[in-house]
Amino acid sequence: MAVAAGVENKKELRHVTRFELLMDAGFGAQKAGDILVMTFAKMGKYVYIEPMIPAEISPPPRTRPALSGVIMRLADFDITNIGNDTDLILAAHEIVLERRLDDEETNVNCQIILDMTDKEANPESYERVCKRISKMGYKFYPFDVDAEAKAVLTKLGGKGKNIFYLGMLSNIYNVPKELMIDEIKIVFGKKLKEDVLNQNLLLFEHGYNCADINVPLSFDVAAKPRPTEKILIDGNTSLSMGIIDAGIKLFSGYPITPASTIMHTLAKVFPSYGGIVHQAEDEIAAIGVAIGSYFGGVPAVTCTSGPGLSLKQEFIGFATAAEIPIIIIDAQRAGPSTGMPTKTEQSDLPAVIFGSHGDNVKVVISVANVIDCFYAPQMARYLAEKLRLPVFIMTDFQTANSYKVIEMLKVNEIDDVDDIPDFVFERFHIRRLPDHIEMVRTSQASPGTPGAMRRVTGLNTDASGSVNYFHGTHHRSHQIRNEKIHHVRRALTKPEMFGPDKAEVLVIGWGSTRGAIEEAINNCVKEGISAAGMHLRIVYPLPLMLIEIFANYKRVVTVELAYGDELKPSPLAMLLRTETLVDVKPMISRATGRPIRPRIIKEKIQELLRQ
Amino acid sequence: MITPNTQTGANISKQPLTVKDLHVENPRWCVGCGDFGIVMSLKRFMVDQQIDPAHTVNVSGIGCSGRAPNYINTYGVHAIHGRPITIALGLALARPDLNIFVHSGDGDALSIGGNHYIHGINKNFKCVFLLYDNEMYALTKDQTSPTTRKGRATMTQPTGTYLEPLNAVGMCLGLGASFIASSADWMPDHMASTIAAAYAHKGFAVIHISQRCPHFDPDNFDHKSTSWFAFLKHANGIPPDKRLADKTEFVEHDPSNIEEAFKLAIDPKRYFGLFYCNPNKPSYDDIMRNLTKNAKPKPRSEILNHYRLV
Repeated sequence: MAVAAGVENKKELRHVTRFELLMDAGFGAQKAGDILVMTFAKMGKYVYIEPMIPAEISPPPRTRPALSGVIMRLADFDITNIGNDTDLILAAHEIVLERRLDDEETNVNCQIILDMTDKEANPESYERVCKRISKMGYKFYPFDVDAEAKAVLTKLGGKGKNIFYLGMLSNIYNVPKELMIDEIKIVFGKKLKEDVLNQNLLLFEHGYNCADINVPLSFDVAAKPRPTEKILIDGNTSLSMGIIDAGIKLFSGYPITPASTIMHTLAKVFPSYGGIVHQAEDEIAAIGVAIGSYFGGVPAVTCTSGPGLSLKQEFIGFATAAEIPIIIIDAQRAGPSTGMPTKTEQSDLPAVIFGSHGDNVKVVISVANVIDCFYAPQMARYLAEKLRLPVFIMTDFQTANSYKVIEMLKVNEIDDVDDIPDFVFERFHIRRLPDHIEMVRTSQASPGTPGAMRRVTGLNTDASGSVNYFHGTHHRSHQIRNEKIHHVRRALTKPEMFGPDKAEVLVIGWGSTRGAIEEAINNCVKEGISAAGMHLRIVYPLPLMLIEIFANYKRVVTVELAYGDELKPSPLAMLLRTETLVDVKPMISRATGRPIRPRIIKEKIQELLRQ
Repeated sequence: MITPNTQTGANISKQPLTVKDLHVENPRWCVGCGDFGIVMSLKRFMVDQQIDPAHTVNVSGIGCSGRAPNYINTYGVHAIHGRPITIALGLALARPDLNIFVHSGDGDALSIGGNHYIHGINKNFKCVFLLYDNEMYALTKDQTSPTTRKGRATMTQPTGTYLEPLNAVGMCLGLGASFIASSADWMPDHMASTIAAAYAHKGFAVIHISQRCPHFDPDNFDHKSTSWFAFLKHANGIPPDKRLADKTEFVEHDPSNIEEAFKLAIDPKRYFGLFYCNPNKPSYDDIMRNLTKNAKPKPRSEILNHYRLV
C-alpha cells in the first residue's frame, strides 16, 4: 500500500511490500536471502521469508527446474504470512523470471528488473519474455552487468552474482551499505579467503552502482523501535529447539525433505544438551528406535514427511496397541507418492488421523507458525505420556522453511510434563487432562522397575497384559483406547477465532494457513464484509462445541492446501462434516504447492456472499 | 512422569533367581517345538549368572519365535514383523543399564527384517541376537523362507522350493559381525554356554540356532543322529555340548580366524560353536553415548540466544 505517490527516484515509503530474487540453483540465492533477512531484521523491520528451492540439488542452469529464489515480505507491523503478491522481481535471466510469472503471484503494478547478461544465449527467448512483460503492463528495468564486474565474476568461476544482486537490492530498499556488508562478512567471513571476500565486496559495490544507473526505484519500510528482545528463526529450527526445551532425549530420523533440517540442526547441538541424534537405516527403523527409547522411559521423537509417514504406519499402530508413547513430526510436502518434495501441502491429514490398520487412535497437533513449533513438542510429550498413544506434530514445507522475526520466547526447560506451564496449554486450546486415565494394561512400569516385569505386544491383551483373544476383552481394549481420545475431546477449549461471533461466513483452517486467514478476516472486518475465521491447533480429535459455534454462521467453509472439489470434500471439510453434520464446504481446496494468499481468501468470501 | 530407573543390571533382589521366577505362563507352541528348548536355555543362563529380570528386556518380531518374550518373566516387547532390532537399538541407546535379548526367526530376520539385520550387525550395538532358524515360515503355516532348503515343497512353492537357501552365518561374516556362533535347540547345555559367551561379548552377538519344527517339517534336523554336524572347539570358543560331546566330531577352530570361519560357513557340513569373535569392534551405542558425554554441556535456558537479533 503506497503512502506517497510512486515518483521515480524518490524514496517511496510503504507499510508492507514483497519482492523476489530469482536465480539458478547453486549460485547462492538462498545465502543472499539469509543475508537480506538478517539485515532487514536487524534494521528493525518485520520480515517474513519463503525460500523457493528445487527438489534437485543443482539442475542445469538456465532451465525452469533450476529456479532457486527467495520471496521476502517486509513490513512495519508484525506479519503472519508471505502475503498476496509480489511488487518487485529481480531475476538473473528470462527463464527463471518466466517460470515465476507463470505462478501468477505478481501485483498489477509489479516492477521487473531483469539481468540481460545472458541475452546472447537465447535472444529470441529474451525478446519473447520482454514482450510478455510489456504486454502485462509491468514496469521493466533491464540491465547489464558492467565489464569490470563481469571480469570479477569470471575470475570467481561464475560465483558472486548473488552479492552483486544484494548490492542492487541494498540500493533499491535503502539498506545502508555498511549494514549489508557487515552481514556479508558474518556469513562469508570465515568461509572465504580474504581476496575472494574482497572480490565479493567489490561486486556488491558494482551492484549498488548498477541500481543507481539502471533502476530508478527506491523503497523503504519504516523501522519500528524494538524495546523487547527479538529473535529470527525458521520453523524447523524452532521445532528443533523446542524438542530440546521439551526434555526429549532421543531423536531418530531418516533423511527426507523437508524434515531433514531438524536432524541437521539437532545433530550439531543435541549432545550438548544430553541428547542423542540417531540416523536410522530407514523410516521404519527410525520410528522403531524412538519407540524402543520411549518404552525404556526416555522421551523420543521421530520426524518424517509423506513417503516416510506411509512407511511408519505399522509401527504407529503398534505404539497405540502396546501403549508406548511416541511423538511423530510430519513435515508435509505435496503428495501423493514422491509428489513435490519442496512444495507445501496439507493433504497428509487423513493418512495421519486414520492411518495404520484397525481402529487406531492418536492425537494430531498442528503448528501455524514458528512460535507453535517451539512449544508443540511440549504439548506432544504431555499428551503422548499421559495417554500413552502416538501424538503427531504436523508442520509443512512452508512453516518448516519460512523465517520470521518474533519476540524472544520463554524457555521452559521441561523434564517432567506436569511442569509444562499453562500458557502452553492455552496456546493449543486445551486444558490439562484428568489425573487418572485408564489404560488397557493396569501396569505401565518401565524396565528397571523391580518386581514389575511386564511384556507388551501388538496382540490384544487383557488388563494384566496377557495375550487374550476373547471378544469381551478385545472390545474393552477398543473402548479404553477411544476413551483416551474422548478425554482430549472434553479437554479441548474453544479454538482460536478471528472476527465477529456471528456472521454470514465462517472460514476454517488448520496449520500454516492461519496467518493468511487472520489477515483476510481482519481486512474483511475493516471493509464491513460479514465473515469470521477459525483456526484449529489440535486437528484430531476435534472439540465438542463446534456445532454450537457453527450455528452462529450461515455458511461454514474451509481453506485448505489440499485437493477437493464438488464431489470430494477436502480433508478438513470431510472431517468437520462427519463430526458436526454441518454442510461444511471447501471454499479453497487448492493443492498447487504454493501458500494460500489472504486476498484470495477475501475474494472467495465476497464471491460466496454474492451467491 | 516417566523416569528411567538407572540401577545396574545386577540382580538386586535378596532371594536368588530361580527358573520358577522366570515363568509367566505355559507357552502356546506345538508339542516338540524347538522354541521350548531355546527359551529354557535362556532361562537357565539367567539363573546361572543371576541376571536381574527387572533389568532385562526380551525383544521379538513376529512368528512362532516372536512369542518368546511373552513366556519369560522379564520386561519384553513383542514388536512388529521384522523390526525387533530397531526397538532393541532404541533401548540400547536410551538405557545402557539394560540386558537386551532379541528373538527373531529366519523370516523375521532375513526376509522382512533383512535391512535391520544388516544394520544391526554393522552398528554392533550391545545385545544378544537369537536367530531361531527353522528354515520355514511356521506361524503362517508352512511357506518357503529365505533359508528353506532347495526342493522342499511348501504351500507357496508346492513343486519344491526354487532357490538355494541363504547362508545366515556367511552373511554375518560378510557384514562384519563381531560375534557369530551357532547352536541348536536340542543341546540345552551348548545353547546356555553359547548365550553366556554372547552375553559377555560387547557388541551385536548373533547366535544362529537350528530349530526344529516337528509340525511342518519333522524330517529336518535329525536330533537323534550326530553324524551330520561337528562342534567347533577352541580355548577361546564355546565348549561342546556335554551330552553329545562323546559321540560327535570336533573341529579345532580359532574364532579370531575369519578366513577359516568363512570356509566353515560355506561347508555343506553343519558346525555348532563359535565361528568368529572380534572383541575390539567399536559399538554404535558406546560411540553415541560418548558423543553426549564428551560434548560441552550447555544450559537449556540459553537455547534461543543464538537466534537473537543484536
